[in-house]
Amino acid sequence: MALRGYAWLVVALSIPAFVWLVPTIWMVSLSFQPNEVLARTTSSTALGLVPVPFTAQNYADLFAFGQTPWWFMNSVIVALGMTLGVLAVSTTAGYALARLDFPYKGPIAVLCLIGLMVPEQAVFIPLYTMFADFGWHNSYHALILPRMAVPIGVFLMMQFFRAIPKDIEEAARLDGVGWLQIFWYVMLPLARPAMMTLAILTFLYAWNDYLWPLVSAQQREYFTITLGLASIQSNFAQSEGLGRVMASGVIASLPVVLLFLIFQRYVVQAMTAGGSKG
Amino acid sequence: MRHVLIGAAAAATLATGVAAQETEVTLGRFFGACEDAGSDTKASVGEACIIQSIINAASEEIDGVTVNTLPTDWGNYYDQIKAAYAGGTPPDVHVMHRHRVPEFAGLGALADLSGDLGAAGIDPSDWSDNALAAVSYESGIYGVPMDFHANLWHVNMDLMEEAGLVENGRPVLPSSPEELLDHARMVKEATGQDYLAADFAQFPIGVRVVLALMWQQGDNIFTEDGTATVNTEAGKRAVETIIQLFDAGYANPQLNYADSQQAFLNGEAAVLVNGTWVVDFYAAEAAKEETGLDTYYVADFPTLFEQGATWADSHMWAIPSTLKANDPAKYEAALKVLAFINDHNVDWARTGHMSVRNSVVNSDEYRNLPHRSEYADTAAIARDTPPSERYGAIQDVLNRELQAIWLTDKPVEAALQDAEFEVQDLLDR
Amino acid sequence: MVNAHRKRPSLGQVQAAWVLMLPFLAVYGLFLVYPFFRGIWISLHDWNLLAVAFNPEAKEFVGVDNYVRVMWGRNIVWGPLASPVLQAAGIFGLGLAILLRRMNQVSRSTAIAIGLAALLLLVLPGFHPGEGGRWYDRRFWPTVGNTLVFVALTVPGVTITALILAAALARETRAMAVLRTLFFLSQVLSVTVVTLIWQIMFSPRQGLIANVTQLFGGTPINWLTDEQFAMAAIVIATIWWSLGIAMILFLAGLQDISKDLYEAAALDHATGARAFWHITLPNLQRTITLVIILQIILHFQVFGQSHLMTQGGPNDETQVLVRYIYQTAFRDSELGRASAMAVFLFVIMGAFSTLQFLAGREKD
Repeated sequence: MALRGYAWLVVALSIPAFVWLVPTIWMVSLSFQPNEVLARTTSSTALGLVPVPFTAQNYADLFAFGQTPWWFMNSVIVALGMTLGVLAVSTTAGYALARLDFPYKGPIAVLCLIGLMVPEQAVFIPLYTMFADFGWHNSYHALILPRMAVPIGVFLMMQFFRAIPKDIEEAARLDGVGWLQIFWYVMLPLARPAMMTLAILTFLYAWNDYLWPLVSAQQREYFTITLGLASIQSNFAQSEGLGRVMASGVIASLPVVLLFLIFQRYVVQAMTAGGSKG
Repeated sequence: MRHVLIGAAAAATLATGVAAQETEVTLGRFFGACEDAGSDTKASVGEACIIQSIINAASEEIDGVTVNTLPTDWGNYYDQIKAAYAGGTPPDVHVMHRHRVPEFAGLGALADLSGDLGAAGIDPSDWSDNALAAVSYESGIYGVPMDFHANLWHVNMDLMEEAGLVENGRPVLPSSPEELLDHARMVKEATGQDYLAADFAQFPIGVRVVLALMWQQGDNIFTEDGTATVNTEAGKRAVETIIQLFDAGYANPQLNYADSQQAFLNGEAAVLVNGTWVVDFYAAEAAKEETGLDTYYVADFPTLFEQGATWADSHMWAIPSTLKANDPAKYEAALKVLAFINDHNVDWARTGHMSVRNSVVNSDEYRNLPHRSEYADTAAIARDTPPSERYGAIQDVLNRELQAIWLTDKPVEAALQDAEFEVQDLLDR
Repeated sequence: MVNAHRKRPSLGQVQAAWVLMLPFLAVYGLFLVYPFFRGIWISLHDWNLLAVAFNPEAKEFVGVDNYVRVMWGRNIVWGPLASPVLQAAGIFGLGLAILLRRMNQVSRSTAIAIGLAALLLLVLPGFHPGEGGRWYDRRFWPTVGNTLVFVALTVPGVTITALILAAALARETRAMAVLRTLFFLSQVLSVTVVTLIWQIMFSPRQGLIANVTQLFGGTPINWLTDEQFAMAAIVIATIWWSLGIAMILFLAGLQDISKDLYEAAALDHATGARAFWHITLPNLQRTITLVIILQIILHFQVFGQSHLMTQGGPNDETQVLVRYIYQTAFRDSELGRASAMAVFLFVIMGAFSTLQFLAGREKD
């Protein structure tokens, strides 16, 4: 391909790429402008895309007042907890379904995977009543447990383990190694790439989840940052504290953006794997 | 060094000892967030900051009690309170509107406070009759009233002056739908600005304007025996009074709460229909140089038909019945918080809300609050729809149908008919 | 899988298997299977959330009454001309499906899918209230309709944009990788960040779009409360948000197309747009189908954009099914009705998930 043609292509595509970025740039820029200025106008410089007048006060306020840091911490706890939980149940069940023989394996496998069809909206109401009956709402386990039941993780790990050649296990069995040890010492290390992929997928999901935390976490101490951000989006906040609300949005997005930039490869794999389950 | 350590240990013990005796009371409220409210209840401005300063002061001044506020935005408040009750973790103290009392008290969700008010230092006989009625349900008292709030006619006197609608320092208000249109035309022609602004697109403020106009004709949206009467002559005339302004371009129905407020403050509308809760906020804004609004007046909602009426409601504080039943120590602490709020009624009234205590209403401090005399008659014309367990749902139906009329050109007859069907369904359940 | 010649699995294996399966099965049974059936059970009751919280006896078994109250009405009749545009489209779609299959232009499952959709278009809009009749729940079917409109606008928008971008950015160079990252970035944001950004973007007072409009001397549109623009607003925000996954899937699909095909085409002077049309598209069939179905499933569940940006308004124009379920359950406290709607949603989602499963297994 002619180099000049290619260069033109890059330039031509950079324009829509920039346009695509504009909303995000705008959010970041507004977060660095003072609230009083924003209450009057949002297009101070370059339509508001450049943060002049500049202030870091909004971020300082975020950490001094309000509960944004608390919510951030909740999100971290919930996301990490859910990731660990999903990894734990998915690698174990995934390996068992892929490699081990046991009675009724066929029907159980079907039973597990049929859950892929059930969207979270079909079960969030009964889940709500269940957790309410036990008084478990407004807690970390309420936020972590339900998602662990979604079989996408099992499916992914099952596919992965199926693809591993059997000789490794056979060799280990000949040496008299027990199945559980094989799983722990042999299979898991091999599964690291798939586990990374699943971990990223789960972490992203947990971080960005809105419906279930909305329903389950009634007390503000247990809001995740996604939920907390929604709660301050009301009109009053917008007209008076626009800069601070935007700063909250930036803080809410930083971890997942960083995660994405660092682990791009795995994120791509996660999307591909999750998308083409068939 | 040893002295420092011993001192620190002693201080720590003392602190934990004191902390161990502190009862934490969780408090749910709307009104917006105000993080730097402080605890000077005389210096705060605006609903959010005044209430938060009172709460912070309560937390500091009441011995052995700390208050943990759980603010929520107004739109979702009842969803979250209901979910909190359903989940078994309602806040120990929470604010409510009087119109929700039948729903919550009817379910047994609220604690009956009648026997315990005296011990906590709350005097029900100081409350006005209406206030007492607001918190009573079937011979029990289910809350401590905090205010009456009503819809007012907030006026930009400079624009009205330009249009020739000011007399003796007071704005000339319309006394019929025809005059309303006339005045609107005068303002538009003289100043180029809209006559009226209000939130017709989001919260039920537009609904309440229509309701007020229905009451002014002696009608209501349903009768005492549970028959919906939305699609009536009075209803139609009430709606048409408003949409004549939209059709002529003297008001914009697409503005939501924040936008309509901003328009008024920028001087882009002569009148804003909003409640008592923003009087001190607008007064403070008007005093600022950079705000378009300069001369601010607060008028009663005008009477356009036979009798005066304006929508009004009441805020009150309630305690969940489960708290009274299960945790007497916290129940007592909660009552102390309510007593504190009751004692600071005059500070809350600074927002613009009307006080519920006779002693406060008759005090000089109250009478001298800015703009108070301008809307003194509002208390007399305050009205609401008949009580119902389904008040919230009914209000939602009306909001949807009326917004359909002025935002999507749904025919008035069809919208009122649909509203009547749905309200009837709700009343029948 | 019982084969007489096969050695019985050793006891150690079965025990190990149960140890490994148990954690997942426990969580799965408790938090997915049981709630699923309980949801159906709830939908058969008149169940007020608050009332039952205070008095567990307050719920009442009503059988399918909730379904009737939500989806049916009084004196509902069916007519082939009730909704002429939609029903004509349905008949047209049926014909198209048969024709395309005859001409072997599409696979069997695609033809079935189109046929099914067309049949639904023909049958469903035909129901309408007869003389003196009315729907019991005036808002349910329009809400379903709004959700369908949202899907019908968003899915093609995302798919086409993603396809073009993927094709343009498929080269393995630094610059292309950076560009890909830039386009993908919006996908990792949560729905509340996206709605926050776009609420302000669309604001007639403070929005970037309003600022630009005013720069050119126009009057800003009130996107989120204008009946003509509210749906467009949430569709635009969603397309901006959801580009990433589709683009990634297309890129993966593009990688699978052998370079030899392009080289052979280049010999015939078929490059650029023509190569795209004649080689890329046909070979991406399976991926395109998968992406479309995935997007349909994803966007049918839309909630945040409607809840936070437009609050379902104006006048229910952007009210979507999941939000209606949420409000029925937690605002109106009607758990039974909400569960009935959730079952309805599950049926639709299940159908599409099955389609996705079948499409994924199909050989080209």
